[in-house]
Amino acid sequence: MIWEVFRQEKSGGYHTHCGNVHAPDAQMAKLFAEVQHGRRKPTNSLWVVPQQEVAEVDAEEANFGGTTDKSYRWAMTYNRVDESFAEEVADSQREQETADRERDEVTAGGNR
Amino acid sequence: MDLETVKDRAGPRAFSPKHDLPEEYRKAATRMIQFHANSEIMGAYLERPFIRQAPSLDRKLAFSAKVQDEIGHGQLLYRAAESLGIKTRDEMLDELANGEGKFLNCFHYPMESWTETPMIGFFVDGAAMRRQATLKKVSWEPYAHAMDKICFEEGFHVKHGEDILRELATGSRKEQEMLQEAFDEWWPRIIQFFGPTDDKSTHHDFSSEVGLKLMSNDELRSAFLTAYVPKAKKYGLEIPDEPRIEKRDDGTYKVVEDDLDWDEFFTIAKNNSAGSKEQIGKRHDTQEAVEWVRSVLDENERTTTGTAPQAAD
Repeated sequence: MIWEVFRQEKSGGYHTHCGNVHAPDAQMAKLFAEVQHGRRKPTNSLWVVPQQEVAEVDAEEANFGGTTDKSYRWAMTYNRVDESFAEEVADSQREQETADRERDEVTAGGNR
Repeated sequence: MDLETVKDRAGPRAFSPKHDLPEEYRKAATRMIQFHANSEIMGAYLERPFIRQAPSLDRKLAFSAKVQDEIGHGQLLYRAAESLGIKTRDEMLDELANGEGKFLNCFHYPMESWTETPMIGFFVDGAAMRRQATLKKVSWEPYAHAMDKICFEEGFHVKHGEDILRELATGSRKEQEMLQEAFDEWWPRIIQFFGPTDDKSTHHDFSSEVGLKLMSNDELRSAFLTAYVPKAKKYGLEIPDEPRIEKRDDGTYKVVEDDLDWDEFFTIAKNNSAGSKEQIGKRHDTQEAVEWVRSVLDENERTTTGTAPQAAD
C-alpha cells in the first residue's frame, strides 16, 4: 500500500507534499515516513495519507483559471490607482504579480 | 494546556487543532472567527445586488468575482472556527440565519445606490484588510492560514473599490455630489468599524494575552486613518466635521469618541437595529429559496460517503 507524505517544517507552517512510502499499515507508514522524510530536512510534523484517498483533478481535465480573460480578478488590472499607499494592499499585489508570473511560466513551459 | 501556559506560548501560529487548549481560549477564538466569517457572508449579501446594477460589463464581472471571493472567505473562516471544537459549521450558519450570529456594524446598513459601493469596496474593505494583515500573526494556526489566502485575494477588492471611487470622483457633478453624500453617511460607520476605544473594549485584554488580537482598536483605527484620510482628500472628498479627528504630534490620529453614536453601535451589535433585521431577513429569504439545493447535496453526501458531519466536542 502506498502512503503520501506531507511535511511541515515548523510549527504554524503548511504541510506540503514531499513524497510517498510503501507500508502495510498506518503505523508502519508513519514510521517509514519519519525515517525517509523527517530525518534531514527540518520537520515539525508529518501527515501520512493513503494514496487512494487522495482525489486529483489535473490540467488534462480542468481549465485552471478558466478559458476566458479574467484580468478583472487581479489587482494589477486596476493600474489607474496606486497600491503603494497601504503596505498590506501593496503586499497583496506583489503576491498576485508573483502568482501571475508563475502561471505564465508554467504555461510557456508547455505544461498545458 | 492550562491558561498560563497558553499565555506563555501565545506566539504567531502557535496553536493548532492537535493541541489540548483550555475552553476559555477556544471560546474566545470561536467568537472572534465566527464574527469574522459571518461578516464575510453578510458583506457579500449586501454587495450582491450590485452585480445586477453594475454600470458596465467590466464592473459586473469584477463585482461578481468579488462577491464570490467573499463567500469563499466566509467558508474558509467557518472551517478555521469549526476546528476549535466549540461549534460546528452548521451551528454557526444556523445562528447567522436565526439572528443570533453577530457581524460587522457596517453590514447592518442598507446600500441603495451605486455611488455607495466604494464606501464598502474601498473604505470598509481597506479597514478590514488593515486588520486582517495583522491577523497573519494570530496564535490559532488555521485562522492565520485563512488570512494568508484572504490577504492574497483582497488586494484586488480594495483596488477595484478605489477604481470605482476614482471614476465617480472624476465623473459628472451629480456623481461627485452623490459620492460626497454617501461619504458623509458612511464615514462615522467606517470609523466605528474598529470598535470602541481601548478603554471601553470588553474583550481586549484576554484576546491580546492569548495572541488572538495583535493590535488594539485605537492602533488599528489610527493606522487606517493615516493611509485612508489622504486618499479621501485626494479624490476631493470633504471629511465630515464630526466625528472630530485630531492628529497628534507623533502623527497618529485621535478620534473624539463622544461624537459617534454608540447607542446605535451597540444596538447594531445586538442585531437589534432595523437594518440588522432587514439584512438578516434578506439572507434568510434567499437561503430558504435555495434550500432544495442544499438538501439534495446533503442527501447525496449521506448516501455516497456514509459519514456524518464533523461534530463539535
